[in-house]
Amino acid sequence: MNSISETPSQTNVLLIALVGLFVVVLVLIGVAQLRRNGIGAKLQRSIDLAVKSLWLHKLRSVLSVLGIIIGTSSVIALMAFGEGSMQDALDDIRRQGATNIIVRSVKPSDDSATAQRSYVTTYGLVKRDIDRIETIGDSILRIVPLRVFPTEARFLERLVNARVIGTTPEYADVHKFELSSGRFLTDLDERDRKNVCVLGSEAADKLFPFEDPVGRSVLMRTFDFTVVGVIRDRMPTGGTGGSQAAEEYNRDIYVPLNTTVARFGEVISVRTAGSRVNEKVQYNQVTITVSDIDKVRPVGDSIKAILEQEHGYKKDWVVTIPLDKLEEAERAKTRFTSLLVLIASISLVVGGIGIMNIMLATVTERTREIGIRRALGAKQKDITLQFLVEAVVQTTIGGLCGVVLGLVMVYTVPYVWSLFATTPLPAKIHVPAIFLSLFVSIGVGVLFGWYPARRAARLDPIEALRHD
Amino acid sequence: MPAIVRVVDLVKNYYMGTQTVNVLKGLNLTFEEGDFVALMGPSGSGKSTLLNVLGCLDRPTSGAYYLGDVNVAQMGDDQLSEVRSTYLGFIFQSYNLLPQYTVVENIELPLLYQGIKLDEATKERCVKLAEMVGLSDRLDHRPLQLSGGQQQRVAIARSLVNDPHLILGDEPTGNLDTKTSVEIMQMLRTLNRSGKTIIMVTHENDIAEWARRVIRLRDGRVESDTRNDNRATA
Repeated sequence: MNSISETPSQTNVLLIALVGLFVVVLVLIGVAQLRRNGIGAKLQRSIDLAVKSLWLHKLRSVLSVLGIIIGTSSVIALMAFGEGSMQDALDDIRRQGATNIIVRSVKPSDDSATAQRSYVTTYGLVKRDIDRIETIGDSILRIVPLRVFPTEARFLERLVNARVIGTTPEYADVHKFELSSGRFLTDLDERDRKNVCVLGSEAADKLFPFEDPVGRSVLMRTFDFTVVGVIRDRMPTGGTGGSQAAEEYNRDIYVPLNTTVARFGEVISVRTAGSRVNEKVQYNQVTITVSDIDKVRPVGDSIKAILEQEHGYKKDWVVTIPLDKLEEAERAKTRFTSLLVLIASISLVVGGIGIMNIMLATVTERTREIGIRRALGAKQKDITLQFLVEAVVQTTIGGLCGVVLGLVMVYTVPYVWSLFATTPLPAKIHVPAIFLSLFVSIGVGVLFGWYPARRAARLDPIEALRHD
Repeated sequence: MPAIVRVVDLVKNYYMGTQTVNVLKGLNLTFEEGDFVALMGPSGSGKSTLLNVLGCLDRPTSGAYYLGDVNVAQMGDDQLSEVRSTYLGFIFQSYNLLPQYTVVENIELPLLYQGIKLDEATKERCVKLAEMVGLSDRLDHRPLQLSGGQQQRVAIARSLVNDPHLILGDEPTGNLDTKTSVEIMQMLRTLNRSGKTIIMVTHENDIAEWARRVIRLRDGRVESDTRNDNRATA
């Protein structure tokens, strides 16, 4: 998972190499086939000729294909960065689980609806909601409630501002994380309201920089909690969707849900900017996992209906369906990709115009050569072929250079980026983009080389011979 | 001797805007195989136009042009290219070699358009032709490294590579000094003696004297057609 966001993975490189090899073999077979027929010799001679005359004007050739090089390389780089960040977003949503429905407690923005004034604000999901959601039936695999307490956790003189999450053992299944040592919470912990906790990787690093945390105890509020496990480093969830804040799992400390109720009570104190706000929230979040992806929406609708009934006008809950976001993100990706293809085609067309411009100049400059060749027996189509091949050779070489440059950019830019920016620039090589841009640049050669080549071929041989 | 080239009622008009310029006004000429002809005449007489038509670079407005037994007057562009490639050799006033090619590559050029596979055998043939025109030590030189006379000799070798029926010269000595001109004319005479038919345009009398037959054109018609057997056979 991590490799996607940092550098293009090894499998990608292998895939490119394989497909590249395949194309090369195909071209070689094609050339061999052509050589066996008569056209082959002519075509090969034309290619030799084109390479020769391009070599004669090295600087000009390079400048004229610059557009193609830039076009191709930027397509590949943009696609890679676009793919990378899109992939990041998609992975993010997938991590939340496409079969999950997340219900959160939110503080109602307007208290007048409740018409209650007290020092303790009561809102959010309660046990009764969960019981009712359970009645929806078999399609619900599990319901994982959690409570969140922002609390200081201490070990000796070391302190970390952690988020204590009270939850059930099934939480681990929902979020699919791995433990680097020890175990996660168990049903027994839950039943016996044990003072045990599992640390996120960052919390563990801060509290126990030198020793193994498992077996030690951490002080939270006035209670000691025995560390039973440490969770491996996890990707934080980005703040997708308006209602969902970004989640930094690595600083979390997990304790059994029942223990939190027993030790900390039902009131959650939150310190905000010097003042203390007391809130009474039974569950901060409930994650419902559904058996089948098709049942996500109907169950989501049922949950909404239940909560509307239970909470009435009090809008203190919100239902998030990651699947919706996944589909939305996939649609956005498609839009994004087509936009890139559009930009790509614009830049390649611009490159093609550059080629055409140079080819027209070349034809004018080489009018006499054309006349000589015609006098010595060249047909119109020989001249067409010569100039067309020259244009195509240029754009093909340009396209190949662009691919190389693009790949270099994909590998180096994220590194340079990481030196200056705090957020990583994810890149994922988009293999179809490489071949698409290569084929398009060859196509551009044919398209924009055609007119100058025809113009060269249609020159009157006598006029052309007189030209100087 | 059999006729290799025959033009019948050859007319060539140019259209410049609304004006019609009548350049060739019904020429009737026959050239025999193995002949060496000089076309002369003041500028505007139509000698260059006639040479272009004979060289299949231009099509007559009307009339017939028989090359051998075939009337090439109304052939299409591709067919004319094929005729040039197979039956004709050209020598130009300004040599018209390709500067980016070596001597051998320049000589090889007409073969490229015959669809022949270029290999060691064709290369050897080109080298032999270069040796024949006395450039055996200049095979890999480029035209700009050669003198005018040497360049024209490359052009002569090039005009021979396809073993043409007819060699056409457009003032082949026009850019050369007298001494070099004599060398070139001697070379053409040798070729003619070995059986090649040569038709060349010139406006210098002493060059025309090298030919067996001199045709003078004026205003698109034949003014005179004489044989100078005295020197050609000498």
